[in-house]
Formats: sequence, structure tokens, C-alpha cells
Amino acid sequence: MRVLVCVKQVRALGDEVEFTADGTDVDPDYLDAALNEWDSYATEEALCVREAHGGEVVAVTCGPKESEAALRRCLAMGADRALRVDGVESHDPLCVARALAEVVREESPDLVLCGVQSSDSVQAATGTALAGLAGLPHVAVVTKLELGTGSARVHRELEGGLLDVVDVDLPALLTIQTGINQPRYANLRAIKQAEQVEIAVRQAGDTAAGSRVRRMFVPSRGDAAEMLGGDPAEVARRIAEIVRERVA
Amino acid sequence: MSVVVVAEHLRGEVREVTHELVSAGESLGPVSVALIARDPTPLIAAVNVEGVSEIVTLAAGADEFESDTYEQALEALIAERKPRIVLVGFTVNAMGYASAVAARLGLGFASDVHQVSLEGDAVIATRSFYGGKVDAEVEFPGAETVILALRPTVWAPAEGVGSAGVSSLDLSLSPARARHVEFLEPAAASDVDITQADFLFSVGRGIGDADALPELEALATRMGGTLSVSRPVVDAGWMPSSRQVGQSGKTVKPKVYLALGISGAVQHLAGMKSSGTIIAVNTDPEAAIFGVAHYGAVADLFDVVEELEKLY
Amino acid sequence: MAETRETFAGLSDWQIAVWYGLIAISTAIFALGVALLVRKYRRGGGRFTFDRPLERIAGAARIVLTHAWIKRRVGVAGLAHAFVFYGFLVLFIGTAILAFQDDFAKPILGWTFWQGPFYLGYSLFLDLFGAALLIGLVLFVVVRLLVSPGRLDYSRPDRGGSDAGRGRYIVGDWVFLGSLLFLGVTGFLLESLRIAETDPAFEKWSPCGWVFAQGLRALGVDGSAAADAHFRTWWVHGITALAFVAAIPFTKAVHMLTAPANVAARNPSAGRELVPVPSDAKAGEVGYGRITDLTPTHLLQLDACTKCGKCTDACPAAVSGYPLSPRDLVLDLREQAEGSLGIRHALHVEPLADVAASLTPNPIRPETVWSCMQCMACVEICPVGIEHVPIINQLRRRFLDLGELDASLQSTLETIYDSGNSFGEPRRKRGRWAKELEFDVKDARKEPVEILWFVGDYASLDPRNSGISQTLARVLHHAGVDFGILYEAERNAGNDVRRAGEEGLFVDLAEGNIEAISGCDFERILTSDPHSFNTLRNEYPAFGGAWTVLHHSQLLLELLETGKLAPAKSLGARVTYHDPCHLGRYNGVYEAPRHVLAAIGCELVEMPRSRDNSFCCGAGGGRIWMDELKKGDLPRPSESRIHEAVALGDIDYFVTACPKDVTMYEDAIKTSGHQGDLVLRELSELVFEALDLGSVAVMTGGAEGSPPDVELDERPPAAT
Repeated sequence: MRVLVCVKQVRALGDEVEFTADGTDVDPDYLDAALNEWDSYATEEALCVREAHGGEVVAVTCGPKESEAALRRCLAMGADRALRVDGVESHDPLCVARALAEVVREESPDLVLCGVQSSDSVQAATGTALAGLAGLPHVAVVTKLELGTGSARVHRELEGGLLDVVDVDLPALLTIQTGINQPRYANLRAIKQAEQVEIAVRQAGDTAAGSRVRRMFVPSRGDAAEMLGGDPAEVARRIAEIVRERVA
Repeated sequence: MSVVVVAEHLRGEVREVTHELVSAGESLGPVSVALIARDPTPLIAAVNVEGVSEIVTLAAGADEFESDTYEQALEALIAERKPRIVLVGFTVNAMGYASAVAARLGLGFASDVHQVSLEGDAVIATRSFYGGKVDAEVEFPGAETVILALRPTVWAPAEGVGSAGVSSLDLSLSPARARHVEFLEPAAASDVDITQADFLFSVGRGIGDADALPELEALATRMGGTLSVSRPVVDAGWMPSSRQVGQSGKTVKPKVYLALGISGAVQHLAGMKSSGTIIAVNTDPEAAIFGVAHYGAVADLFDVVEELEKLY
Repeated sequence: MAETRETFAGLSDWQIAVWYGLIAISTAIFALGVALLVRKYRRGGGRFTFDRPLERIAGAARIVLTHAWIKRRVGVAGLAHAFVFYGFLVLFIGTAILAFQDDFAKPILGWTFWQGPFYLGYSLFLDLFGAALLIGLVLFVVVRLLVSPGRLDYSRPDRGGSDAGRGRYIVGDWVFLGSLLFLGVTGFLLESLRIAETDPAFEKWSPCGWVFAQGLRALGVDGSAAADAHFRTWWVHGITALAFVAAIPFTKAVHMLTAPANVAARNPSAGRELVPVPSDAKAGEVGYGRITDLTPTHLLQLDACTKCGKCTDACPAAVSGYPLSPRDLVLDLREQAEGSLGIRHALHVEPLADVAASLTPNPIRPETVWSCMQCMACVEICPVGIEHVPIINQLRRRFLDLGELDASLQSTLETIYDSGNSFGEPRRKRGRWAKELEFDVKDARKEPVEILWFVGDYASLDPRNSGISQTLARVLHHAGVDFGILYEAERNAGNDVRRAGEEGLFVDLAEGNIEAISGCDFERILTSDPHSFNTLRNEYPAFGGAWTVLHHSQLLLELLETGKLAPAKSLGARVTYHDPCHLGRYNGVYEAPRHVLAAIGCELVEMPRSRDNSFCCGAGGGRIWMDELKKGDLPRPSESRIHEAVALGDIDYFVTACPKDVTMYEDAIKTSGHQGDLVLRELSELVFEALDLGSVAVMTGGAEGSPPDVELDERPPAAT
């Protein structure tokens, strides 16, 4: 059983920002990187599948060398192999999906797991686009996975928490929602030892994108919130006042 | 510039996001609504609101959403009608098919879009990045058709009764490889129904761990409110999902919504932004929650809680 | 005829032969016991190390002979032990001297010296020390029966005070005490009977024996009556003594060997410099999981324990009701070692244990291991040098290796890995506190500085503590100190990460910080957090980062003493001072903060538990990052400390010199209901006040000064 997990090294913005010279992205100095939270759930789910059914877990990411840190985390959690696809402009989900589709063709996994979305782009599109390109049956926003032979039964979590029980033929692609499991801790020794593991790098072939950022900017906040100043005591006093006034 | 809106329905009811899509599409061009269902007929009236020029029914193999069906149906419609813009809601359903169609057909694509405009022939969509702290204008050079998943509750839903004509498109569908079996209601609700509360005292990831929850709940009660939470608190197993506010939880509209240590991820905002008065407390001055809040304070929630405990 | 006495008087040759035979048997049993113990130690992981042997032995000799460690915090029991120790030692040496003459010097060299003045001196000496032995033993009995310290009922604070299964220990104690008393009493009886037989005048030089002999003679016990009684008593005393010696390795008496051995073999920097994980350790085998993972020295330590309980009495976790009792941890490990590898195992004495079994959850429960604040109170007070803290740390390393840690700790460690700080704040925010000051703080990465200030997580990013950093910066600026910080290049120093058991992350942090620091041009490093102080000073050298590291209390004192800082006013305040664990116990810096307080006009009222006995605030060892453990109704360590301070009465300021202390105690002042009773000040804040430069931004983040980088508040005008 080969499970392919697609992960992303996402970037978080603090409370200061400067944009790149061409204005299409934030200056990397202002961004801190980490493994996408959804992808740690996906990796954990892949490891659980391997524990139950045997086989191997392969982690793949699209991005520059720095994004190998995400793969090291997956290897440290227990993934068997890791791959990186270089030469991909990672903001566009279709571009990433095309690069990943080449990996899927090569690896022929029995199951592909992606996170529902990335915390920095929130497109929630890469996994499904990949399934479309690779011709895989797919279900998005999965909160439970039971593998059978030839098919799997999953829960798809809809708005309001309603669960849609879906049977999906295997091999399939699933996008994994948070809360499906408890991602295990990857201790740093394991991460360091993972540093010894060779990460295979390939160049992306098709890099056509479905969109392009032409300008990134700080949005004006319109009716900005009235900021309550002062110390916590003052803030608390005002909150109590507002609650008293508005909750008749 | 023609616009196709893909209607979204669940258990025989058309979902409100469909009307929001119509409203959005109206300003862009004539709107055709695609209705994909085993028996679309009962849904036609609900979809026929002001602003809809045409309704196209596509008979599918199942009553409920199935990814393969929607993809094949949409692809067939796009091939037939060649719309400039396809609008879907940024919903769980759409996450299961929209980008697949865009990828396979080489179309433009962007999701969680909250503004759309036309510049001549070009479609410009605005969406957020980096936790909602920055926005970006996205363009789709060379794409004849653009699929956009619009953020729910941004556009006001179109209303009234429309006078759209109905046509149908025949489909030859291959069997769905992911098939709907049944629905399960969310885990047994506790005795608390947060949608009924006038005042919600809501906490998020900022509480750090489960230790403070009993105290926070007690304070919420003394203040006359009900404790609710954002998704990470439920994912960590600290509170049941019946307390969750957000897209996959409950949508709430209390008179006052106090958000403590909640950053304001878009799926959370979707669940509470229509609240009467929103007060947000967060240590990050750029947290997205401040974008919807009426009152905000950049402070440590525990410092504020401590002071509130003295008042109650 | 020269004064002397006949050894083996009244014994026939075959009886003497039997006696030597019994000695041989006793010695053989003793040797067997020792061999079994050594075999147990050799089953430990890694090799037994004993570097600089002469230094170690000399050091141990000094500590043992002066009873420097034994006498701490036990009052009269320390004196009693000295009496017993020296009594036993002198009597033992006395017997050895006699054996030397009788078995070697006289038969082989024809030399007798045990006579005349030597004999008289010998007799007196032994009598006095024999008396001391008895007095010491009687004192012990009195302490156990009348004073009855809680430590000695061996109830387990980590199991709710249960004393199940402890009867064996109490019986063992009394047997030990009783047998020594018996030997002491029969020894004097023997001497008295011997003297009573013929009452030689020179035997006044054995004063005790002589006095009792007079009594015996007065009762008519003399001549052959005395000789008969002497003969019987001699065998009773002799056989008991040989049995006692043979039993040493098998009883509490073994501490006579293992305790001094451990004092010599211990790691003197235990706890303050943790040993690294060997680079060849395999996954799943890091740290201590089974009894055979313990090093030979640690296995020896378990046998050195005399169950005195000083460690548990000093432990803030035990005292606050957490499921940790250092003594019981050591004893649980000891029983495991004995039951699976040791003498009990060899003799099939229950309870037996499986050598391959995991130490956790039985007998060592995970919550026991996680309760520890790594404050070193136990290690510091242990009279035999047991290293509880490193042992607990090794147990944690195994948990981390297997991914068995609570969600809060997991989340914090992941956060530290991702963002370099425990708060999850963006990297850029680290130096923000410095940018808000009204003067520039040099970037040590870009220009040379004399003092490179390693600030630390809390002092950089926690609002209250970053305000204190700003205050300290103003003090240093006023004193004309040339200092700079690393800004975003600084990451969590790793002290508590290491103590939580995440060695890999510690190494990563240390290497990163060392690389950043090495690229700078500076003379000395300043730390304002004792945790950073400890690891930079004691642990970074092993990773290539060896510099002179100061804590700010030391630098402030230096500035005051050299006149670079001159207080403009005397504060005239009555203060008490909490010694931070990592500054005081870990690194011996007790006086510098006190001198600083004196120099700025503060009258110091010492906390009842101060200096080496300071009581931990509860944040250490990564505990501040972990879930709260169930512990019943007792106050938390920090609250207990605040009660202690309030009880001093009429204190203007509760002073500390550690950012975690500031956080924990500010919180505890409120939660213990003492807000208004006690005001907390950090040392730097008081120094600043004494300089009388202006208002102190105490509770705020100190928000004066130059505006920060572009903030997202600068919004473009809304599009129409």
C-alpha cells in the first residue's frame, strides 16, 4: 500500500508587512515558515494507514529548497521517503497540482492524501485539482477514513457539521480536515536524522498557472473596529458596559 | 460576458449561497443557473430569483452531491456554453469539484474570492492571503473561462421572483466513483444550543490549553452568556463540536459576540460575522477578526478575563 | 611488664581456629555481596567513568570526613551521625591495628607495638570513641521515638501518603540501629568483664570499661566468674560482629560503602550540565526506559540512598501535592534494580522484577516524571550525591523519543521549532522591545559591542518582562555600557527544552545561537534570564560556544562597585529576595543580587527558605509549558512561596531576578489573594528607581520611543 502525502511549507505573517519590489507578494523577511497544519493531520492519517495495512508513506512538496523543512517533519513523524518538486510558483493551486500530477504518475500511489487547505492561501483547491488531473476518484474535507478492499468509506464534513458518508473507489485522493486524528510528535532527533535522508528533487515540467497575483496590498478596513485602549481593567469595564447595553 | 452560476442544494433545499452567487454574477453579465440533480424540477422555483436569465437543468445520477457527477456536468456545460465566468460558492461541495474542472480544462481559477470586477475583457478577482491580513488582486491571463469560488455571505442574496426560462442539457455520465451513501447528523448535541444565545462568550486557540475552560465557562455564565469556541478548540478535543462556531459548526447571530483569542480564520468569520455587536480581544493587532469586529482590544485574553472576573 | 592484654584470652587454639574460620566465612559472604552489587552496576548502560581519580577521592574524603553534606538541615541527627561514624571508624581501625599486629607484624616481623604507652593511648581513644558511638546511637533512637520526623515513616507523598509496603524499611532501620547498639553495649560489657577479672590498675586508661568493671566487681563479678562471662560475651559479640560485617552488602549498612563511593563517583556538574544523548543512540532507545539503561554510576547511586528523605522535604512538587517524591523515585528504581539484577534477584527474594520490563508506567508513573521542575533542590541537599534531576531528565528523554508527551508540551515544542520562541510570535518581533526605546540598541550582528546581551524568550516577548528589559537597557545606557543584542538571530536558549527532555531541539537551538553569537565581535555575554545564564555558561561550551557569561545581577554589581552606576538616592525599602533556582542553586550566585540591593539602600529580610534552600516557583523543567497536573487542594509552589513572603510582615518589595519568577509570582500574588499585600519588583527595576531618572514603565510594555517598522495600521485610503 503506497500512500502519497502532499504537504506544504506555509508562511505566516506577523503584524508588520513589506511587499516585494514588484508588489505581488510579501517580503520573505516578514514571513515565518512552518508545516501546514492540515498536512500534519494528513501525514498522521497516512501513517495510521500504513500501521494498519502496511506499505510505505511518501511525502511530497512543491517549492524551493527551504520547503524541505516540511518534508523533514514528515520523515521525522515516520514517512519512508520524501520528494520535492522544484521550479513551481506555489501561490497558484493549479500550477502546484500539475507538478504533483507528474509525481502521481510516477509513483502510482494507492491513496493520495492532501490537507483540505493551506493556512496561507486557503484556496482549498490543490488536492481536488490534482485528483482531476490524475484521474483519481476524490472526496474533499474528510474527517474519517475506513479503508476496505478496492474502496474506502469516508465521512465528508459539510457546513454545520453534517456528515456525508461517501464510498469512494480506490486508488483515490482525499483532502483531510483537521481534527481527524492527533498528529504524533516528531522529536528533533528524528528530524535531524531525517536530515541525513536524501530527498529526491525533480524539476516541474508543466508549470501553467490558473491565476496570477498582480498586486498584493493591505486592505483598508472600511468600518474599522473601535479599539478599546487602556489597560485590561479598562477593556474589561468597557466590555461589561457593552454587554449590559446590548444584551437586553 | 456570460456567467454561469452552479446552484448548490442539500436534501431537497437550495442553499442560500446560490442566491448570493446570482447577485454577484448579475453585475458581471447575464446569469445562467446550472441545476445539477437527479430530479431538478422541484428546485427550479427556488432558483428562479430576480437576476437569473436562464436556468439549465442537468439530470444527474444521484439526489445528493457527487464529485464526478458535478465535474462531468459542469465540463459539459462549459463545453456547450463557453461562459466567461463560472461562479460557485466557496463551500465544501465546491472544494470537491471546482478546481478539478479548472485544472483539466486549463481554465482560470481562484477561490475564497470576495470581490470580482471586470477591466475590459479581463476578470479581476480579489482574495485574501496570509490569514486574511493582506488582499491580492488576481488575474487570469489567457483564460477563456474563469471559475471563481465566492466567499459566502459577502454578497447579499438575490431575492424576488425571476422569470428565467428553463432549458436542459443532456448528459451521458459515467458512474460516479465517489458515491453518497447517507447523511449523519453531527455528534449528539449537549444541552446547550449556542444558536439560541443572546450573548456568546467565545474562545479560540489563544487559551493555550484546556485548563482554563471551566473558569471561562463559569465567567461566561455569570456574565449572562454562553461559552462557544472556534474549531481548533474542538479539534484538540477540549470541547464538543456542539459549541463550535464556524462554517463546519454553527452559524450564530447573537446580540453580542465576544471573541477571545480567536484570530478570525475565514471559516470562523463565516459563522459569526452577522452578530449584532462583535467585540474581539487578541494579542495580534492584525488578526483578521478585527476586520469584522465593532470593538477590539489588543490585549492578552487572560489579563482581560482576570479583570472581568472582578466585575462579575 | 608493659601494659597490654592478651588477645584471644581464654580461647583454646582450636577455638581460635574456628574464629578465623568464621572470619573467612564472614569475609566471603561480604565479598559475595559486594560482587553481586558490582555485577548489578556493570549491567548498566555505558562504561563506568572515574576520571581524575585522586581529585575525586580527595574531594570525597573531605566531604565525608567533615560531614559537610550530612549535617545540613538535620540538627542533632548530624552530630549523632558523626559520633556513630567516627565511633565505628575508630573502632574498626582499632581492630585493624590489632589484627595487623597479631596476624602480620608479630608472627612475621616479630614486632609487637600494642603495649605500653601505645596500648594506653589506644585504649583511651577507643573507649572515648566507643562511648561516642553509643551516644550517637542513643541520640538516633531518641530522635526516631521522640522527635519522630515525618520523613522517617516512609509514607509516600507521591501516592497520597500511603505507607503500604514500607514496614520492611522501618524494620530494617531498627534492626540496623539495634544491632549497632547491641555491638556497642556488648563491646563495653566485654571490656568491663575483662577488666573486672583482674582489675589491672593501668586499665583506668579505658575509663568507661574501668568504671563499669568496678561496678561489676562490686556486684561480685570478678575472677573466674568474670572470665566465664567474658568468654560467653566474647563469642556473642564476635559472632554478631562477623554477622554484621557479612550482612553489610545485604542491608542498610551498605551505605557505608556505597555512599562514599558515590560521593567520589558522582558527576559534580550533574543537573547544571546535562549529558548529551550519544550520537549512536537508536530511535526508541534514547534516555532511560529500562533499568539497564541507567549508567553504572546511577545504579550505584540508588544503593547509596539511606532513605533520609531530605530530597522529598525540599522538593516543591512533593510539598505541593504533585505525584512526585524524589526519594520514592530513587527507591522505586532501586527496588527494580534489586529485583531484576541485584542481590534480591540472586537470592530470589520478592518482589522480583523483569530486567527487560519498561520502567514506566510501573513502577515509575509518567506523571511522576513530568511533575519535576528540575529545580535541583533534591540533588543539592542529598547527603550522598544522588542525581535525581538527570535521572528524571533521562526518563523524559525516553518519553520524548517515543512521542509520549502531553498536548500542551508538544504544541510548545513544535512552536519553538517553527518560530524560535515559545510564544509563537513572529521572529521579527524579538527585538521590538529594543526598537521602542528612546535610544538605539546596537545590533551585535552588525557592529562590535563590549557586552552581547542574550535576552531570552520571556524577557523579549512577554509584555511585563520586556518592560523590565527596557528598564535594564536604560540602566545600562545610563552607565555607558557598550551593549548590543542579536535581534531576530536570537532563538530560545534551550535550557528548558533540554530539561523537558527534547535533546534534539536543544542541540538545534544551541547550535543556531552559537553560530549567531560566534559571528559577533564582543567581550562578554550578558543574560537577564537565569535559565539562559545556566545553559550558555554550562552547556554551550560542549557545543563550541565558550564565553564569559554574566547574569545581570553580576553586571549591575560590577557597575555599582566600579562607580559606573551611582545611585542618586537610597530606596530605604524593606525587601525580601527570592533566589531563582537557576541563578542560586544551579550556579551559586547568591551574593551579587544581595550586594546590589544593599548598594541601593534596601534592607534585606531573608525568606525562611533562601539561598540553597530557595523554593522553586514551579515554572522550571518545561513545566510552565505543560498541562497542570492533578494535585489536590494544596497551594501551588508559587502561591506557597507568596504566603511565605507575606508572613514576614511589612515587606515593601518581593524581589526576584528571573523573568519566569516575575510571571509566576505576579500571577500567584493575585491567585493567592495577596494583591495589595505584596509588591513584586525585579532587581533591575529597583536599580532604575535608585538612579532616579524618571518614571518606571512597570506594568506596561514601555511604549515610549521611536515608532516600529511599517505596521499594517498604515492603511491606504479606502477605494471609492
